[in-house]
Amino acid sequence: MKKNRERFCNREREFVYKFKVGSQCLELKVPLKFPVEEDASHLHGRLMLLHNLPCFIENDLKEALSQFIEEESLRDYDRDAEASLEAVKSGEVDLHQLASTWAKVYAETTLEHARPEEPSWDEDFADVYHDLIHSPASETLLNLEHNYFVSISELIGERDVELKKLRERQGIEMEKVMQELGKSLTDQDVNSLAAQHFESQQDLENKWTNELKQSTAIQKQEYQEWVIKLHQDLKNPNNSSLSEEIKVQPSQFRESVEANGRIYEEQRKLEESFTIHLGAQLKTMHNLRLLRADMLDFCKHKRNHRSGVKLHRLQTALSLYSTSLCGLVLLVDNRINSYSGIKRDGNRNGGRDDKTKNTDRNYLNILPGEFYITRHSNLSEIHVAFHLCVDDNVKSGNITARDPAIMGLRNILKVCCTHDITTISIPLLLVHDMSEEMTIPWCLKRAELVFKCVKGFMMEMASWDGGISRTVQFLVPQSISEEMFYQLSNMLPQIFRVSSTLTLTSKH
Amino acid sequence: MFPLKDAEIGAFTFFASALPHDVCGSNGLPLTPNSIKILGRFQILKTITHPRLCQYVDISRGKHERLVVVAEHCERSLEDLLRERKPMSYSKVLCIAFEVLQGLQYMNKHGIVHRALSPHNILLDPKGHIKLAKFGLYHMTAHGDDVDFPIGYPSYLAPEVIAQGLFKTTDHIPSEKPLPSGPKSDVWSLGIILFELCMGRKLFQSLDISERLKFLLTLDCVDDTVIVLAEEHGCLDIMKELPENVTNLLKKCLTFHPSKRPTPDELMQDKVFSEVSPLYTPFTKPTSLFSSSLRCADLTLPEDISQLCKDINSDYLAERSIEEVYYLWCLAGGDLEKELVNKEIIRSKPPICTLPNLLFEDGESFGQSRDRSSLLDDTTVTLSLCQLRNRLKDVGGEAFYPLLEDDQSNLPHSNSNNELSAAATLPLIIRERDTEYQLNRIILFDRLLKAYPYKKNQIWKEARVDIPPLMRGLTWAALLGVEGAIHAKYDAIDKDTPIPTDRQIEVDIPRCHQYDELLSSPEGHAKFRRVLKAWVVSHPDLVYWQGLDSLCAPFLYLNFNNEALAYACMSAFIPKYLYNFFLKDNSHVIQEYLTVFSQMIAFHDPELSNHLNEIGFIPDLYAIPWFLTMFTHVFPLHKIFHLWDTLLLGNSSFPFCIGVAILQQLRDRLLANGFNECILLFSDLPEIDIERCVRESVNLFCWTPKSATYRQHAQPPKSAPDSGVRSSAPYFSSECPDPPKTDLSRESISLNDLKSEVSPRISAEDLIDLCELTVTGHFKTPTKKTKPSKPKLLVVDIRSSEDFIRGHISGSINIPFSTAFTAEGEFNQGPCTAVLQSFKGKVIVIMGHVAKHTAEFAAHLVKMKYPRICILDGGINKIKPTGLLTIPSPQI
Repeated sequence: MKKNRERFCNREREFVYKFKVGSQCLELKVPLKFPVEEDASHLHGRLMLLHNLPCFIENDLKEALSQFIEEESLRDYDRDAEASLEAVKSGEVDLHQLASTWAKVYAETTLEHARPEEPSWDEDFADVYHDLIHSPASETLLNLEHNYFVSISELIGERDVELKKLRERQGIEMEKVMQELGKSLTDQDVNSLAAQHFESQQDLENKWTNELKQSTAIQKQEYQEWVIKLHQDLKNPNNSSLSEEIKVQPSQFRESVEANGRIYEEQRKLEESFTIHLGAQLKTMHNLRLLRADMLDFCKHKRNHRSGVKLHRLQTALSLYSTSLCGLVLLVDNRINSYSGIKRDGNRNGGRDDKTKNTDRNYLNILPGEFYITRHSNLSEIHVAFHLCVDDNVKSGNITARDPAIMGLRNILKVCCTHDITTISIPLLLVHDMSEEMTIPWCLKRAELVFKCVKGFMMEMASWDGGISRTVQFLVPQSISEEMFYQLSNMLPQIFRVSSTLTLTSKH
Repeated sequence: MFPLKDAEIGAFTFFASALPHDVCGSNGLPLTPNSIKILGRFQILKTITHPRLCQYVDISRGKHERLVVVAEHCERSLEDLLRERKPMSYSKVLCIAFEVLQGLQYMNKHGIVHRALSPHNILLDPKGHIKLAKFGLYHMTAHGDDVDFPIGYPSYLAPEVIAQGLFKTTDHIPSEKPLPSGPKSDVWSLGIILFELCMGRKLFQSLDISERLKFLLTLDCVDDTVIVLAEEHGCLDIMKELPENVTNLLKKCLTFHPSKRPTPDELMQDKVFSEVSPLYTPFTKPTSLFSSSLRCADLTLPEDISQLCKDINSDYLAERSIEEVYYLWCLAGGDLEKELVNKEIIRSKPPICTLPNLLFEDGESFGQSRDRSSLLDDTTVTLSLCQLRNRLKDVGGEAFYPLLEDDQSNLPHSNSNNELSAAATLPLIIRERDTEYQLNRIILFDRLLKAYPYKKNQIWKEARVDIPPLMRGLTWAALLGVEGAIHAKYDAIDKDTPIPTDRQIEVDIPRCHQYDELLSSPEGHAKFRRVLKAWVVSHPDLVYWQGLDSLCAPFLYLNFNNEALAYACMSAFIPKYLYNFFLKDNSHVIQEYLTVFSQMIAFHDPELSNHLNEIGFIPDLYAIPWFLTMFTHVFPLHKIFHLWDTLLLGNSSFPFCIGVAILQQLRDRLLANGFNECILLFSDLPEIDIERCVRESVNLFCWTPKSATYRQHAQPPKSAPDSGVRSSAPYFSSECPDPPKTDLSRESISLNDLKSEVSPRISAEDLIDLCELTVTGHFKTPTKKTKPSKPKLLVVDIRSSEDFIRGHISGSINIPFSTAFTAEGEFNQGPCTAVLQSFKGKVIVIMGHVAKHTAEFAAHLVKMKYPRICILDGGINKIKPTGLLTIPSPQI
């Protein structure tokens, strides 16, 4: 079939046109390539010019030419069509396979032939939740969530205490053993004890993990059931038991018993905002913000200013199923199932993540530049967390724009485009904590790289989504000095074009 | 386009297929999204107008590659007839067949194949005639390449279409791709539909898709497909009763082998239609503006003229074209997506539910369930015109049929007209969004343009108020004086043969206004290429300079479906505003232009001029792309439109004023900054308020004496017979280029001399003109002439006082050059300097007899921030022969 097709596709054919000038008979031969891409009207003009043809034949030539093209193309269509019919008849193309390919495509792409939709629990819940959160019940919802959060925090607190105790005990034991080392005990004994310690630590951690998992699962189910029930009750208010509950507010957030082990140092939060324009001729406005804050502040429910927090929470909950989501980039190492660093802190704050779907690629490491996405309904300011995998390379001073971490950022921004995430927070220095090697020049270099790359990606984004205004927040670690912060905030307007401030002056 | 009449407007939506991740095109640039490709290809469909085809109106891109197509629509279709489950009368079947064939034949003539023929795409208008819907889907999607779903419906696919299978260009080298379907596959589909109509039932309902398709392909082995189909569906009885010509028709349509099947064109000539075809008159496309044939050739007025306005109570809106009605519908708050969401055609999931779980570095994602909302639902939704009609219910008939004869502004008018004139004072942005106002403007311009070039003057007059966006393309052509057989001219230009400029054009096009969907589509690129090549080829004395692409962009955008007009407009625009800018060696033209520009800056804003000169920020550094592209390189299209709406009304020196107006908007920042910051600032020009820019440039223009922008390399004045035709009304001072040269006109001076002077020279002619009138209103209002207002112009004579006494222009003051300034550059105080100071801000003309001195004197004044300083060209000697010099009577 392939051969056949080549025979009559892309073939040159000769167009012959005869005409008379006076008593002279002339013949014009033009090789034409089929299938003809150009419009015939362009062609005849070109012929007239090229061969210096007399103007009186122009119309006739035009007609003859278009007729020729029409006839020849029709012949091509016929031949091609016959050839493919022949191929089916001769068995070159499998009839059954052909038919099933068609059927499959119809089933996959058209509503008419698609399999009826299986009710998606996810979406139904989305509708229910969206309805409720936009109703007076919203506060109850949030309170309930908060209670869950508190109880999980308590559990985590207990866990930490127990782990701490275990470690202390083990420490003492180890110390004793070390003292005996060389006397009554050998290296091997120490090693075996260490192994034993490690094992019991793991056991304890696993126990807690399981417990946490269990209670989050219970909470999640409880919560979902409760939401559905509440929704039903609200719809038919006659037999309402829960709507009463709403009226009789549980009024206050339950105070958390333990004021979270870590003392939250109230370092002054530094923040600077910029409005920028991107694009050469048509400009799109975006908001940029440079923040000195902890990444997880966006997840945490702050205890102190309660009413403000509540508003934040409400705002986030209201927009959960909307088309303007907030996202956050967290940097993680390559072990999905392990439990360390920022992930641990993340979990502590995350509490019950409502919709996290852990990937099945457990025990399979992800590579730098790849990321997994978790979705949250109960974090204070974000809905989506991108867990971007980075390696130690980001600590070095010489990463380039082609670094996996940067490409990962690009993919994250792309997902933001395709999934209506309009606010995204990015760690500007691609690290969450400062360390010794991160000197001032290092910071400046890194910030410049990330600023420039993000600018490039944002300009690219305009072609992906037609230029939607976005907010991008750049976060720098808490431990950065004020001076450094202002150096960075001076750098930003040099890289991005900051829009002119509107100056109000009296008319002269 | 036809009037709307009783048709409706419908919209349907589909998704273009998503592009693979991070694949680059052959030129290294990112691939064009499929939705943009479709949008580009769609445009030509708007020009296909036939009574049997649903008129395409618009396409719009939504989020995430969604497309919404707007087209003429009728609620009823053959599907409804089939639902009655009654066989249709045979004569009706023949009529339907013939009408469908008419539509198909017309499409085929334009190289379009339907491929998606089905009963629900054959609509019935209220009079019972058919209209083909969705006939452009196969064309706009590049034969199905750019969408995921197959084009066509399983029961109606022709055997060869099934056999060819589904191919995507992406998985095949283009040369291996089978040809798209030809016109004959539509004939098969028509055959099946006609068969269904005859039988009064739908076929293959009991079979699933793959069985259906298999069955269709096995029809090869049977002698008579029609009989087999009838047997299969148990309707042989009805089959046998069919009259012979209907059976024949069915057999012809349902010929298995395409080579033996007739084309729509052939089938129409067939004798089965011998009874039906005389009932239909062949369709001729009405001639449009700028076509070489006579537009009114077939116009016949009824004997009794009152017949014309017989139906008084008719629906005026329905007499407007679909395009206009849709445009107004949008203005009146119509929202396509919302309509589709309301009818549940667009059902999108919350984005948070569709997020993937994991993304690899190459952008491949996991854990994303297939989104059901992306499935094709090609139901067409009727757009309700209620809101629009409601909005326009108070608009009287006279608005729809304005009288063009008299000067309307002088006549007292009805309420609505008073409202209109009130609306005319609102900002342009608001006027462009106002439904009633746009309705009036569109109708007015439509009628005026129909009478072009006869009504040219009135078009100019109305264009000064504003230009309705919908009519901009044609209006600009009218303002540029495009006339004649532009299509024939354009066709005759060779746009195919490779020329050396091709490479540059190829590089520039993908960088020119690519934020715009139309111009970034492959279709747009091809058109760009042709128009630019046509211009280069047909102007052998000029060359392609980078920037020509930007200049072409607005014309191409406005006349996307009419390349010839875009070309004609561009060819008319360039000599008017950019005469000789595209010479191979254009440095003298540009240098002179920029020098005049810096003189204009000094004339209007001496402080800024002083600063810029001080830091060495000369126009050469920033203004070349401004003028070479007439600002099209600097601004996005929507701003260019507003800017050019006014620019086209001004003469070739108007761009100077635009330039100054732009600088003035950035004035504070320029004044505050040094050279480096200024360069940075202009490398990416900040947002400019274009309406303010236009307003200020008109104001600046009014303050500028005509001859101040004299350029020796400007376009020479038109020859007399030509200018006789161009009797268009002047806008500011004079639309026509310089009047015939006299002794008093400006004389050309060398570029170096020009560069050495800070202030512009004006001609003696201008001076006389200005002095005699002694009003600022010299540009607009001749009525003010009589009012002896305070003189706004001061002539400073810098000759020695002896010479001054011997004869001077009345009203001029004498400040002898030799004693005017102290060593520090301050004024030597005197009565005359006080007068001079009191005139600061007015036009001040310096005259003397040594050119160098006058220039120096002017430069001094500019240094002291005197605006509007100019020099008399040729000095006092020019005035002498006129006898205007007066000698004051001896005082003592």
